[in-house]
Amino acid sequence: MEWFNDFWSTYSTLVFSVGVHALLALSIWLTLSCGLLSLANAAFMGIGAYVAALLTVNLDWSFGTVLLAGGIAPALVALIIGAPVLRLSGVYLAMATLAFGEVVRITVLNLEITGGPEGLNGIPLATEGWHIALILAITVYGLARLRRSKVGRAFEAIKEDEVAARLMGINVDRYKLLAFSLGAFIAGVAGALNAHFTFFISPREYGFENAVDILTMAVLGGTSSLIGPMLGSSILTLLPELLRSLQDFRSLVNGAVLVLVVLFLPKGLWESRRIKAFFKRLKGGQA
Amino acid sequence: MRFLPSLPKSLVLVSALAAAGLAQAADIKIGVAAALTGGAAQYGVAIRNGFQLAADEINAQGGVNGNKIQLVVEDEQGKKEEGINVFKKLIFQDKVLMVFGPTLSNSMFAAGPVANGAKTVVFGTSVTASGITDIGPYVFRNSVMESDVLPVTVATATKHYKLKQVAVIYGNDDAFTKSGYDVFKKVLEDQKLPVTTTETYVKGDVDFKAQLTKIKATNPDAVICSCLAEEAANIMLQARGLGIKAPFIGGNGFNSPKLFEISKLAGEGTFVGSPWSNTNPAPANKAFVAAYVKKYNAEPNQFAAQAFDALHVAAAALHEVKLSGDLAADREALKNALPKATINGATGPFKFRAAVTKTGKPGGWDADQKPFIYVVKGGKFTAFEGK
Repeated sequence: MEWFNDFWSTYSTLVFSVGVHALLALSIWLTLSCGLLSLANAAFMGIGAYVAALLTVNLDWSFGTVLLAGGIAPALVALIIGAPVLRLSGVYLAMATLAFGEVVRITVLNLEITGGPEGLNGIPLATEGWHIALILAITVYGLARLRRSKVGRAFEAIKEDEVAARLMGINVDRYKLLAFSLGAFIAGVAGALNAHFTFFISPREYGFENAVDILTMAVLGGTSSLIGPMLGSSILTLLPELLRSLQDFRSLVNGAVLVLVVLFLPKGLWESRRIKAFFKRLKGGQA
Repeated sequence: MRFLPSLPKSLVLVSALAAAGLAQAADIKIGVAAALTGGAAQYGVAIRNGFQLAADEINAQGGVNGNKIQLVVEDEQGKKEEGINVFKKLIFQDKVLMVFGPTLSNSMFAAGPVANGAKTVVFGTSVTASGITDIGPYVFRNSVMESDVLPVTVATATKHYKLKQVAVIYGNDDAFTKSGYDVFKKVLEDQKLPVTTTETYVKGDVDFKAQLTKIKATNPDAVICSCLAEEAANIMLQARGLGIKAPFIGGNGFNSPKLFEISKLAGEGTFVGSPWSNTNPAPANKAFVAAYVKKYNAEPNQFAAQAFDALHVAAAALHEVKLSGDLAADREALKNALPKATINGATGPFKFRAAVTKTGKPGGWDADQKPFIYVVKGGKFTAFEGK
């Protein structure tokens, strides 16, 4: 067991990050699965992180309620801004959600209680491995069930053809709002978890760059299934650590790997159809 | 099943490697976490160079009590998660005696508690934010805080220019410029210097004419600027363009020779305070500058100088420590010896001062050092000879 203790004391934060990033990638996968290109997830993560951290530091709430509050707060914000914003589609929605992200960032910068640009430090360590594992498991199970449910089919229909879906009697606006708020909830919980193992949060962590990072994770892994986003986020989190021995060339190789994946696997790493075909060919070869 | 037999072999290999590591126990392993890539790389690389230079120098003179110093340098990219990862790797895997870094205050707020929790000394050389040493008793820094530098800068400039009122401009969305402004504000209140107007901008702005026109209308005797070098150059040039003749007073962000190359004569008469001076004639500094230029073929900066001094401070403490080989005991011994360490280094005479924490709990150790005050003459920093 000693090697495990050594491993865990060195890499626990990295493993935590993998889990949190998986949650974030799943949160954007949810909105993508409803055909919404929303870039607000970094901002939702920020809202969750700040709400949770402030509750812990100032009011000393229990960690469970803090996590729940960290999810509900951004979900409420998503419900409020969702109604006007979700009337947009495609790149226009992306732009509007990006603008929303900026609004959140600048608000946090100018508030007294959030510590402004200097951020919030001294957040106690509360996140443990099993918290993340449990929440991730519940999320994956919930989303897997959701996909096969009436709601999931409605999301799929809206993604494929919004007009046709509307004609079939699907309440498009309401389902879009549901996907948007659920995504915000997951991102908020991820933010709350993250804030409680990094001791410190600042507004710059939830800006444009992170919004794009989250999208990259989902797209790199592939958005056709739940495995894709988790695979993508794990790779993007672990790759820089695995390449640490390359020292100065690390960023270069990291970037090159991403370019190659996008060039040769434009639909992402995990595309169910391609992987099934691969196994079929493998079987065919043996027979 | 065919894979299984090879597993014990690899375990043997790993333990052999571990034993090889133990065999050279005479080396003192010291971790350095610096931002070598990313936005903060301009500071991180200078910091690494400073440490490397100091380690080479110490080792060339026979090391510390005969033990050579071995630096383990890791890139923390200026990100908080990376900072934590690197700290954990250095402390738990590389089993270093102490860690230097990280480069940015933000990363320190995230990574510092890791080291403090592992009862390992963490020593920041470039982290100036207030509250850093609140993290715990294992946190040290030789980075001089703005709250130690700015009172001297402002008092010196007030006396020299006989200032009666000043205007203030600062970036309100950056941790560094905002905290600098907070200190300026307090200093101006303490020194009873009236402020005519306070203007703000955000990172990336290039046009400051609106703010400067307002400043001009209030007719201040000097303009206090808590800005990074990028924006400061434009602010100075545009101020002169609008006919503002008042001199500038800057914070740590002004400590860049480039700034005054770009702003040319617009920056004449600017007062800046710094923990380090390129032109400081003290022999320790002259030797440092010469050695740095020789090794890296580039001019050193404040960050390199502070890193260089930091390792010498640690070496001074290590001289007093008898290393037992038991890592936890050695780390504790170093923590107890470090506060007493003093040197006369590139940044001048240095000693530690117990930090005053907000919570009243025992905190870490801040730098107790006198800043250098410069006035800019002919586009160059010139040590100010006060009368």
